[in-house]
Amino acid sequence: MIATKEPGRSRLRQELPREAEPPHLLGSLARWLWLGVGVLALLLFFSLASDDWFTIVNYCLIAAIATLALNLLSGYTGQISLGLAFFMGLGGYTAALLGGNPPAGPLDPWGLGLPVFIWLPAAGLVAALVGALIGPSALRLRGFYLGIVTLALVFIGNYLFRNLNFITGGPQGRNFPVPAFGGFSLDQQNSILGVALTSGQQYFLLILVVLLLSALFVYNLSRSRVGRAMRAVRDHEVGAAIMGVNLFEVKMGAFVLSSFLAGVAGALYVSYARYVIPDYWSLSLSIQFVAAIIIGGIADVWGSILGAAFVFALPQVIDYFSLLPPSTGGGGLSSGDLNALLYGLLIIVFLLFEPGGVIGLVRRLRPGGPRPQRLGTGASAGAATVKEGGESIEVVDLQQHLPGPGEERGSSGTGAS
Amino acid sequence: MSERPDPSKRASDNHQIDPREPLLRVEQLSVRFAGVRALSEVSFVVWPGELFAVIGPNGAGKTSLFNVLSRVYQPEAGRVTFAGQDLLRLKPHQVARAGIARTFQNMGQFPTMTVLDYLLLGRHTRMHSGILRAGLFIGPTRREEWENRAYCLHILDLLNLKEVRDRPLGSLPYGLQKRADLARALAMEPRLLLLDEPVAGMSLEETEEIAAIILEIKEQLGITQILVEHDMALVMGLADRVLVLDFGRVIAEGRPAEVQANPAVIKAYLGEESEQLPAPADDLPAVSEN
Repeated sequence: MIATKEPGRSRLRQELPREAEPPHLLGSLARWLWLGVGVLALLLFFSLASDDWFTIVNYCLIAAIATLALNLLSGYTGQISLGLAFFMGLGGYTAALLGGNPPAGPLDPWGLGLPVFIWLPAAGLVAALVGALIGPSALRLRGFYLGIVTLALVFIGNYLFRNLNFITGGPQGRNFPVPAFGGFSLDQQNSILGVALTSGQQYFLLILVVLLLSALFVYNLSRSRVGRAMRAVRDHEVGAAIMGVNLFEVKMGAFVLSSFLAGVAGALYVSYARYVIPDYWSLSLSIQFVAAIIIGGIADVWGSILGAAFVFALPQVIDYFSLLPPSTGGGGLSSGDLNALLYGLLIIVFLLFEPGGVIGLVRRLRPGGPRPQRLGTGASAGAATVKEGGESIEVVDLQQHLPGPGEERGSSGTGAS
Repeated sequence: MSERPDPSKRASDNHQIDPREPLLRVEQLSVRFAGVRALSEVSFVVWPGELFAVIGPNGAGKTSLFNVLSRVYQPEAGRVTFAGQDLLRLKPHQVARAGIARTFQNMGQFPTMTVLDYLLLGRHTRMHSGILRAGLFIGPTRREEWENRAYCLHILDLLNLKEVRDRPLGSLPYGLQKRADLARALAMEPRLLLLDEPVAGMSLEETEEIAAIILEIKEQLGITQILVEHDMALVMGLADRVLVLDFGRVIAEGRPAEVQANPAVIKAYLGEESEQLPAPADDLPAVSEN
């Protein structure tokens, strides 16, 4: 049954079986179709949407980057964090310091006026560096306690952001200049390849590129050695260590990369909002991202994007379409109240009925997708199906592939290989 | 032998093992929890290629011994030397790298992981891609992933698990989960395989299949194994040597036939009245079905 010839590394290198090939990103027709649908939808949106819609969607795409950051740390690696707003703030102010206008008066916050391709990566790197400094002590804690420590970061951050006037402008906040690529700045109409683009459209392209790169990176990570180690750490730390996974290394990696992405998202936010106050980087911002990964889907790239859409775009859309007044000053239902209601309801509904989030629902309903274990589904599905009925669990078809008690071993197993 | 892990010298290169030296040497090992002695001055050696069994009644300290070997428990006293290096100086995750793989007594640690992913997780120490390379997933990383998937598929094939490669572990019947766990441990290419009750809760048929796999691991792959098991007939039929623990102490050690005849063992297992243990006959006694 077990072959004498051990499959050594050298032998594998020569001929790798097709069946072992890691799936390609666009390995199936369905995925190409989805890509086509996605590109078409983006093109339609891009050419038809109004400026208001670009504002909603651009904020939502920035939020999606931050949601990915949290999902990497909490969803994939299982480390609870409420500190995302802190790392976003670090990125935001790094961008403000590096990219901001040089001060005009003695009271103005500092700014070096550097271009976007410096402050954007620098924002991520500074957040990652601070993450790397905090990680070794914070990550000794688990679960709830890690949550509390990261919560403290938000408050420490808020204090610093309020008081480091020369960077943050203090409680009143500071301006941020329009990002510019060489000659053209993103606040005016510019034409790329002969197509005139509005400010919203240009920001959209910039943010979309950053989001796509981040999403691709996280997706690749999740299907590789590091991603498997992260999920193992999340599910069972002792078990993961027995597999040879260095728990600290994996947690640190997730923490630092998550901080990097959060910093980038913070920088994009500041550059798009063009103004930033310390109160923006609050606990409630952190919690919105926790809500986004729960609603969208834990440990899933698409789940992060959908979650960000639900939490950050849906309220704007409701405001936009709702006939309710934005605020009623006490009596009656305002669109803000409606949003708060829907938001709470969504979290409860997903926690109770669909722990996989929106993406779990989508994947479950999709034909050919992974189906939930259901009684009796095994009857027609092929060789290795398993029927689970009540307490007794029996293998239905696999038995015939296994040698019986009296049979000679070695013949049946090697036949297949 | 150098204690520093050297990526060019893999631990599992079995031919590097000196057959005259024991692979594992446990000396005067004691483990204590809040006054309760789980192990008292336990000593034994395991030779390369051997199938060594540790038996004993419930609470005898068998699993504590495994937990020391996988560095989950810190012993109060004693020495453990594995392939010439001091095992007690390693961190838990370095044990796997040193070449010790362990199967779980109970499954359920990673319910959502697919069988193939579980084996690939087992190959964690055999792969090298870090965060940056993994995130880019180009060239070498893709190649590494492909090679290791091929390796894992080969092992799945050997253990007749290929049909369930994409099934989440938690959706499989218990017997298949345990078998996937054994496959995962093999995927680690260990020098020493610790089997923690590999047939617990299995049917008679499944037990025989696992027994055959264990024998083939010994005979075909030459991997040294330590087997902790309640199923006496299985142990007596498979093991080269048997260590019997009772209340954390070694009460007997030797070949199965010697151990079976040992009055202390009979007493520990069956009480005063009984006279002998079940013989390692071909008809295995019924195992409790799950």
